[in-house]
Amino acid sequence: MNPLFAFQLRRVARNKQFVFFTVLLPALFTIFLTKIIGGQMSVAAERQEVSASIMVSMMAYGAIGAALGATIRISFDRASGWLRQLRVTPVPQTQVFAVDVAVGVLLTLPSILVVALVGRLINGVELGVATWVTLIAVLWAGSAAFVALGILVGLSLDEKAAGGAIGILGVVLAALGGLWWPVEMLPGAMRGLAYALPSYWYAELGRGVVFDGFPGPAGVLAIAAYTAAFGALAVLVARRRPLYAVAG
Amino acid sequence: MPPAPALDIRGLTVRYGDAVAVDDLSLTIPRGQTVALLGPNGAGKSTTVNAVLGLLNPTAGEVEVLGRKPQDAVRAGSVGAMLQHGGLPTEARVGEVIDLVRRSFDRAGQTTAWPLEDLVATAGIDGLLGRPVDALSGGQRQRVLLALALVGAPPLLLLDEPTSAMDVEGRRAFWTTMRGLAARGHTVVFATHHLDEADAVADRVVVVAGGRVVADGTTAEVKAGVGGRTISFTAGPERRLDDVPAVTAVTRQGSTVTLATADADTTLRALLADGGLPDLEVRGATLEDAVISLIAARRQTSIGAPR
Repeated sequence: MNPLFAFQLRRVARNKQFVFFTVLLPALFTIFLTKIIGGQMSVAAERQEVSASIMVSMMAYGAIGAALGATIRISFDRASGWLRQLRVTPVPQTQVFAVDVAVGVLLTLPSILVVALVGRLINGVELGVATWVTLIAVLWAGSAAFVALGILVGLSLDEKAAGGAIGILGVVLAALGGLWWPVEMLPGAMRGLAYALPSYWYAELGRGVVFDGFPGPAGVLAIAAYTAAFGALAVLVARRRPLYAVAG
Repeated sequence: MPPAPALDIRGLTVRYGDAVAVDDLSLTIPRGQTVALLGPNGAGKSTTVNAVLGLLNPTAGEVEVLGRKPQDAVRAGSVGAMLQHGGLPTEARVGEVIDLVRRSFDRAGQTTAWPLEDLVATAGIDGLLGRPVDALSGGQRQRVLLALALVGAPPLLLLDEPTSAMDVEGRRAFWTTMRGLAARGHTVVFATHHLDEADAVADRVVVVAGGRVVADGTTAEVKAGVGGRTISFTAGPERRLDDVPAVTAVTRQGSTVTLATADADTTLRALLADGGLPDLEVRGATLEDAVISLIAARRQTSIGAPR
């Protein structure tokens, strides 16, 4: 394994907050929400539908948190002078950037997998093997949009603002994007906002797989567009603002 | 063909907007020298160091490090650096950080990396390898940063105010290490405003002021270059010192006046003709006197000269 990749991975995985918010919390939410809402359903098919829907939302929630949490850290590494320090070692600069993307991409997977396991084993969500595999693959691929967003925010903001942004972005994307409750429960104007958020379309990809067997074209298009837009902006910011702070 | 010098800077100019940080600076450092870059804050030392490391793109001029472009030299593992604004990552152990950087030098083909125990002893990081970076004191961090600069055993070491967070003892140990490295054939270039360090360690002193080299030579040469004498005596503020001949710099501290002079004889004659000189002391200029007078001279010329 690339030494820098292993190094960065260890650093993030060691962060207890990160593990709590991206793996444990979504798993617990999945159990509680399903017990509370699904518990009111008397018809088994309805219960099954709600359990699956909540599971997909929480897979998305966990993956978004992991993607943002793992990548916004680039801002901390700039503030500490570590990126500048790396710059005077033989580690290639492009690798530093690529490794952060790769770490973000890899670390969304545990959130997705753990929530899937909880859904299957504790909440009794029943899907065919092919559907499970497709669901996990689609959500993993779609998380690229949030990796790109995290890199963009990490590059654009200073340390303190970036620390706050992880939490705020996570809450906004989850609450207004319909991950904590269905978008249909939101009042009209806010529902319009939900349709503009990548988090809504991300969960929509998963719901498409679960209920139709494949992700809807609108969701695929929206997530691809968001990924491209965030990625392009991140590259732009990176060009204007080097990975290390210029001082002295 | 002789081997390329450790450092070859030709006409380096760095502007930030309207401000000129480095102004047409040229400097060649052969391999194996220990060179101090001296000068006040804002003189352009750090900017020069950053240009040599490829951390910034110069407005004009060229920098070659061991015959290569700065970024290529760094990539090839030929340079180790302690930066003024460098730092260590959070959520990592000291040993992990050192291992990461050592591997990057290995990959670059710089195969002479130090055995770990040797590095630990040299950088003074005994017992720190298992420590989380976040738990280090300022002096310990500085020593870990030194270890990172040394770990690849690079032929050129660039140190930007390396001892700023160290206590007196740490400083002494640090410079002992540097002398040892120089003896092994490493080229060591360090920026400092501790003149005693330059005096004690460097083969050569390059004084930088206003983004230019204002003096360059051995410490003895730099001292001699400014006339080599300081005259101090007690005088009230009413004593006029503007027109004393041969004086290169005047400093007043309370009632003590210190004059740097290019010609002590002429200056003393003029002073005596003008009045008494209580508590008179004449001594050979220290490096500090030399640098102060050089910088003062540079300020005068840059005020006078149109740009």
